[in-house]
Amino acid sequence: MDPIIRVIDLWKEYPTDGDKGTAALRGARLEVRSGEIIALLGKSGSGKTTLLNLLAGIDRPTKGRIEVEGRDLEAMGEKGRTQWRRLRLGFIFQFFNLLPTLTAFENVFLSLELAGRPDPQLAVQALRDVGLEGKDHRYPHELSGGEQQRVAIARAIVKQPLLILADEPTGNLDTQTGRQVLDLLVEQCRRASTTMIMASHAASTRRCCDRIVRIVDGAIVEEAPAVDFEP
Amino acid sequence: MKTVTRSFLRYTFRRRGLTVLQFLGIACGVAATVGIVLSARSALTGFSKAIEFLKGKSTHSIERPAGPMDEGILVRLMGDPAVEAFSPVIERSLRLSTAAGAPGFARGSTSGVLARGYKPRASSEPKARPLTGETARILGIDPFLDKNVRPELAYAVTTDKADENLSDRLTFLTKNNAVLVEAQLAHRLGVSVGAAIHTVKGDFEVVGVFPNPSGEPLLLMDIDHAQRLFGLDGRIDRVDLVLNDEPGFLSRWENGYHVQTSLKRRETLAHMLRAFRLNLEALSLLALFVGIFLIYNTAMFAVVSRKKDAGILRSLGAYRSEIVGAFLTEILLLGSFGGLAGGVLGYFLSRFLAGEVGGTISNLYFFLQPAPPSWSLWIVVAGTLLGGIASLLGSLWPLLELVRTDPVRALSGRTADRRSGADARRLATIGAGMILLSLLVLFLSSTQVYAGFAGAFGFLIGASLLTGLALVLVSPPLKRTMARLGGLPGKAAAGNIHLNLGRTAVAVAAFMVALSMSIGLSTMIGSFRRSVERWLDNQISGDLYISSMDELDVPVSFYDELRAVKGIEGVDPYRKTLTSFQGTSAYVSAVDAGVLQRFANFAFLKGGRENWDRVKTGEVIISESFARRFGVKAGDTVTLDAVHGPAKLRVAAVFYDYTSEHGILMMDRAHYLRLFEDPTITSLGIFVDPGNPKRGEILAEVGRRAGDYDLPVFSRDELHANALKVFDSAFAVTTSMRVLAIIVAFFGIAGAILTLFIERQREFGIYRALGFSTLQVGGITLMEGVAMGLLSFIMSLGVGTAMAVILIQVINLRSFNWTVFFYPTGMPYLLAAATALLAGLGGSLYPIFKAWRTYPQMQIREE
Repeated sequence: MDPIIRVIDLWKEYPTDGDKGTAALRGARLEVRSGEIIALLGKSGSGKTTLLNLLAGIDRPTKGRIEVEGRDLEAMGEKGRTQWRRLRLGFIFQFFNLLPTLTAFENVFLSLELAGRPDPQLAVQALRDVGLEGKDHRYPHELSGGEQQRVAIARAIVKQPLLILADEPTGNLDTQTGRQVLDLLVEQCRRASTTMIMASHAASTRRCCDRIVRIVDGAIVEEAPAVDFEP
Repeated sequence: MKTVTRSFLRYTFRRRGLTVLQFLGIACGVAATVGIVLSARSALTGFSKAIEFLKGKSTHSIERPAGPMDEGILVRLMGDPAVEAFSPVIERSLRLSTAAGAPGFARGSTSGVLARGYKPRASSEPKARPLTGETARILGIDPFLDKNVRPELAYAVTTDKADENLSDRLTFLTKNNAVLVEAQLAHRLGVSVGAAIHTVKGDFEVVGVFPNPSGEPLLLMDIDHAQRLFGLDGRIDRVDLVLNDEPGFLSRWENGYHVQTSLKRRETLAHMLRAFRLNLEALSLLALFVGIFLIYNTAMFAVVSRKKDAGILRSLGAYRSEIVGAFLTEILLLGSFGGLAGGVLGYFLSRFLAGEVGGTISNLYFFLQPAPPSWSLWIVVAGTLLGGIASLLGSLWPLLELVRTDPVRALSGRTADRRSGADARRLATIGAGMILLSLLVLFLSSTQVYAGFAGAFGFLIGASLLTGLALVLVSPPLKRTMARLGGLPGKAAAGNIHLNLGRTAVAVAAFMVALSMSIGLSTMIGSFRRSVERWLDNQISGDLYISSMDELDVPVSFYDELRAVKGIEGVDPYRKTLTSFQGTSAYVSAVDAGVLQRFANFAFLKGGRENWDRVKTGEVIISESFARRFGVKAGDTVTLDAVHGPAKLRVAAVFYDYTSEHGILMMDRAHYLRLFEDPTITSLGIFVDPGNPKRGEILAEVGRRAGDYDLPVFSRDELHANALKVFDSAFAVTTSMRVLAIIVAFFGIAGAILTLFIERQREFGIYRALGFSTLQVGGITLMEGVAMGLLSFIMSLGVGTAMAVILIQVINLRSFNWTVFFYPTGMPYLLAAATALLAGLGGSLYPIFKAWRTYPQMQIREE
């Protein structure tokens, strides 16, 4: 099966005050196949978030190439990349990043609206799927951290994307809530056969994944099936 | 509604305090503009309607170059083949009173003159009482001749409707004090047929009421009675004509008469208001200008607080255009609703300002009593559009910021906009360039008043762009000072001002602009007033002045009588009238050059009393405004239309004058009589030797004799006071606008402080965690507010003074053609300092209250 994502010699440098920029990614390479759930492990500042941002097309590489479904992401242009996120991508953040002025339902419905499928029933169902039935009309500040992240998951999965990018989805939750959220997220992906790349600095994430990718100082240094992975 | 838009709009409800401040700021800015434009338009519409109504079917009018003319002209006009119809007219204005009782005099009669016993009345005469009523135009017409020129007016006199009997119409012709009253005026005065109207010229009997679509208060009187009333026996002001052959008529009447088309007459009068209108409208833009700053400030905050949302939306696949659309909807809705409210507020403001504007025009130019603007839905539409456009303008830069939002940075969590010093330096460079360009525009375009206004606004914008750099430069000493005064909270407050330049610099700039304009306008008005005071001291130096108001001309016989009174050293028979010069209007005046040379102390641009010697020999002196307006200087020769044809007059000197921006040409009375055959005397100046032991008795005698002629008498001080009262009323609108600009700016600074507070609630939580008390957190906000207010004031010291210089040396000079001398005083600066302090304190109160109320909920975590 052809990979749906191919990362080829990807570099990302950020300008600094000195002569040379700081490289967040140094020639990263990766291939992701449909339905795979991949854990992207690495320490803080290793380049996990940068890689996810580049895959989402909200950041631009300094060098290298990303192919999504066989197309060069860079060549898709601004409009094409926005369409990629709008229709084919779900994004889950560590700090939830729900829109504070919208209710749980509206946050989920927004995703459908952007995808061109504004069906309220789908949003209600997605919230039900993540266990938030009856909390549709609560605003983010009226929800707990775990509940907010469930809304974020519902927002990502409701449009049935090709790929979900999850950036430390349990990083801001306590251990028990984090485990529940992680299980829910994986379960939802498995059920819909959605591909997911999940950045995490915790090795415990591996239990849910098909494959582990370790990133160190901007370079992918190790890839292995989750069962073979040595923490 | 799209969810993206909804997510943005809900911020307006979540941050109600800020929304209210922005709403009020836009509303006040729009109200100022709508109020001024409506009142100015109302004045001009009233003026146009009045002219149109009074014009009737007339195509031309004929008058003497100066003063009334002999009614013998009517016989010649009757025989002229080009004249289809004609109507002689006497047109004056009169002050009315609604109080019952006998006639009395206008303001002057109740003032100090009576108190000092200068103006005894015969015991049989009724006591003088104030005439506080409005002023009305009075038209003396011949109803039979006038029906061919103004059939509508004549209809009012001669109609034979069922409810009007013949005796009323005959009364109009036979009774000396019979008048017809315009319907709205009659309604306001509460008079109907048979009632009396009290005026400065005695009681009038109302014999009929007629409609006047112009809404201008108007009285009609038979011309014969009007002649007697105004002492114009055998003379008329002008004749309105219906001509069928203009060239033929002009060829026969070009010498000694001034014939102009009705259109030209209207244009000439409208032209007189040009500078006044321009200044008024420029002034109204000031409040809107400050309002745009406020909108910018709030829009910038909106962008900052939505940057993270924009980042989230981008990561979810929203296009930039969708985010921009949502932002624009929010800004436009707020701007439009603010503008709508501003339109309504502006309408009410215009009802107040219309009277002020009309009064100022009447005082400075010609009689005008505009009707208050009537309500129209278009006012709301205009206000809404204005608010919307101003909001768009104010949001342009913030919008660019939003478009450029980097989703990665936005998602990283930092939402506050912390402008670097580099940005401030870049803006300051642009600002310095704008100031240089503005100065070039100001000084290279020597006469264009529009260029003057453009330069002044450019200078203000340039100065406001320097604010960021000024805050960066002042930051270290400010930090030291505030740390010394306020300890750690003071240090934190100073740091916050520096670190949040994107917010603080805009608020300080907006307030600085408002304070600068306040200082500039106050200093200009103060300097102007002082210049007028000095001019009055020099030029109006008589002991007593007789008449000079309310169209009360002085009988020549009285002038002759006073000259014979023993002990009076000099009597100056002053005459001032409008004439035509180089196709436009200017004033010509007559004086006794010998008397003024001896007693007055005219300030000439060059030379002194010796200039009068040449005036006595037939030369003229011209006012500075005349010289600048027509490009004439001492030694030049000007040609003036006189009764016997064009007269060449050599200019002896130029004198400072503030009575008319259209210019005055002054000559000796003997020469004036030869040229214009107009014996009218507008007022008399009486000069008595200060050392004369019988001075008091002599002045009392003058007062007594003036009383016999029913003429008001003013002492020099009273005349000065009256002149300054007119001056102050002329600037009433300016003062209103200045106050409005300050109010708008106040909302700006309060909004900025609230913005900073909302943005940094998390930081306040950190302060609390570090051990700051609620009082100290409130203290930080308060010190920030006060410091921003004071920084605005410090900047306004320089910018305001520069604005004063620009207003005096450029705007005033180009608008009104006269030199105002720069007399800076401390008061405008003290007032600005107090305003700045109060605004800083006042603007901080709500955030402090909010901090106090919400303190327990103030968390370190993100919203």
